[in-house]
Amino acid sequence: MSIRFQVGVKSVAAVGLSLLLLTGLACSSKEEAKPAEAVIGVSLLNLSSEFIVMISESMEQRAGELGVELIITDAQRNAEKQVQQVESFIAQGVDAIILNPCEVEGSSPAVARAHEAGIPIVNVNSETRIEPSAFVGSHDEESARLAMEFIVQRLGGNGNVVMMHGYMGQAAQIKRAQGAREVLEANPGIRLLSEQTAEWDRAKAMALMENWIQSYGDQINAVFAHNDEMGMGALIALEQAGLKDRIIVASVDAIADALGAVSEGRLDATVFQDSVGQGRTAVETALKLSRGEGCEPEVYIPFQLVTLENIDQFR
Amino acid sequence: MQPGQASRLAEWISRYGLLLALVLLAGLLSCLTPNFATAQNLLIVLRQISINGILAVGVTYVLLTGGVDLSLGSVVALTGVVAAGFAHPGEYPVILAVLVGILAGSGCGLVNGLIVTRGKVAPFIVTLGMLTVARGLALVVSGGRPVSNLSSSFTVLGGGAIIGIPIPVLILCVVAFASHVFLKRTRPGRYIYAVGGNEAAAYASGINVTAVKTLAYAVCGGLAGLAGIVLAARITTGQPNAGIAYELDAIAAAVIGGTSLSGGVGGIVGTLLGALLMGVLNNGLDLMNVSSYWQQIVKGLIIVGAVWFDQKGRR
Repeated sequence: MSIRFQVGVKSVAAVGLSLLLLTGLACSSKEEAKPAEAVIGVSLLNLSSEFIVMISESMEQRAGELGVELIITDAQRNAEKQVQQVESFIAQGVDAIILNPCEVEGSSPAVARAHEAGIPIVNVNSETRIEPSAFVGSHDEESARLAMEFIVQRLGGNGNVVMMHGYMGQAAQIKRAQGAREVLEANPGIRLLSEQTAEWDRAKAMALMENWIQSYGDQINAVFAHNDEMGMGALIALEQAGLKDRIIVASVDAIADALGAVSEGRLDATVFQDSVGQGRTAVETALKLSRGEGCEPEVYIPFQLVTLENIDQFR
Repeated sequence: MQPGQASRLAEWISRYGLLLALVLLAGLLSCLTPNFATAQNLLIVLRQISINGILAVGVTYVLLTGGVDLSLGSVVALTGVVAAGFAHPGEYPVILAVLVGILAGSGCGLVNGLIVTRGKVAPFIVTLGMLTVARGLALVVSGGRPVSNLSSSFTVLGGGAIIGIPIPVLILCVVAFASHVFLKRTRPGRYIYAVGGNEAAAYASGINVTAVKTLAYAVCGGLAGLAGIVLAARITTGQPNAGIAYELDAIAAAVIGGTSLSGGVGGIVGTLLGALLMGVLNNGLDLMNVSSYWQQIVKGLIIVGAVWFDQKGRR
């Protein structure tokens, strides 16, 4: 009896505590009560990735300018969570949805639910199998093509390259590998010495590069990494081995650290993906659709190669 | 073979089974690839295992008490960004960044320990909670962005060397030696074994079980802080999403090294051998250019195989 009573008291206390926490959080996030132009639900791939944080910030900025209220949620790379978030947007009766898909197939049901509910849905940055009302983003293959073409040009069409893949099986990894291969096929003088994943991770990329230096040493002429984190890892490993002046490193994303390294003449090239352009355009497109105005089904935001020559435009 | 000889052989295997597995693996790799058994490559392997090694030494304390710490990877990220925040050039002396990082880590460990001992909540749950709390704190502290622009006196902790030996390796050696002596030769160290072996008996014989367990978690957290500092220094940035799943590698190293998941049995020497086995495997598979899909399969099989082989020897 007394044990049951204790358990009861404890669970009441726990529920009370969590309610208190929730109301505290809710109050702190609600600042003004002006009626918004439109309410847009946003489900993002992962708010612990720097690039997605940049998209999210530019969305909030543009929404502020347009008087749009955003409900931003983080799917933490989980497609199932993303579908649930979109379902709850529909239940809340939002005017439009912006989806930054976790997976091509796994996030498709989210798009289907929005279509069924008649709410316009805009995909930003990556694709789903089911077509959304509009797509805002870039074609990932192009980023790898730009970086690889830079390498080919710097090597004068002859030399050995190693490629660091992203997390195997993710859309960005597949497309960046595909873009790089297209350039390699067009340039038979360039040989792909080895390719391996470092899972987008700088520490893993350092270890992989150190191991490659042991296996191939002087034979490597250039490194292409699917993202800047890995590119920076390869760069640091090469610098520590005293090989950087002989080996070209190029990667994709133009994160702050990589831009710094390009301006210092350490990293040879990165590829700029316009997170600000993607975020702002996504909000604009979603607002247009919510008002029933037409828009392009695909708003394409191009990549740009960043080297020492044009770095000033990006900093 | 005579029974006497057989039992002597069994005893020998039981003492040196893991070492034997390691030697066999290294011998195999030396035959398969000429780049493995060079002094330079072996130093690289040591550098690559240093972070996992420090974490594994720390988690050995907790495993010996019969507990577990799942929060290590997140604590690595948190302490990395916190220490990096104090490591910008020309702001504070390096020692402060190091101290703050270690304190942040042992703070997390202390909280884990107090909730486990005072609150009587299962270590699995407490440290699982800390896994998400510390990751969240790392994101809050850093605003979701890597903390870059670190002073060279800080990054030397990850990239530098003294008389040819990488500093992370020296740190691991000091940590491992001190822990070995502490656990085997001091009274509090022996109490950790006693608590893990039979908590009720330890309590009955007057050991302050609460203090001993809390100490183990705090030391483990502090070493995770040290590992976070070495990682941030090695990759020259504090990253809020670094260290994901590092706790699994650390626990695996300790368990491969013969530390029991139910407490009371094991030690630092075994843990180091376990970390070394995993490091040699990573390095060797990269050197042999094994595809990344197959690497995962081979690693899993060899880890289970090594423990099986080891336990067979013990029986």
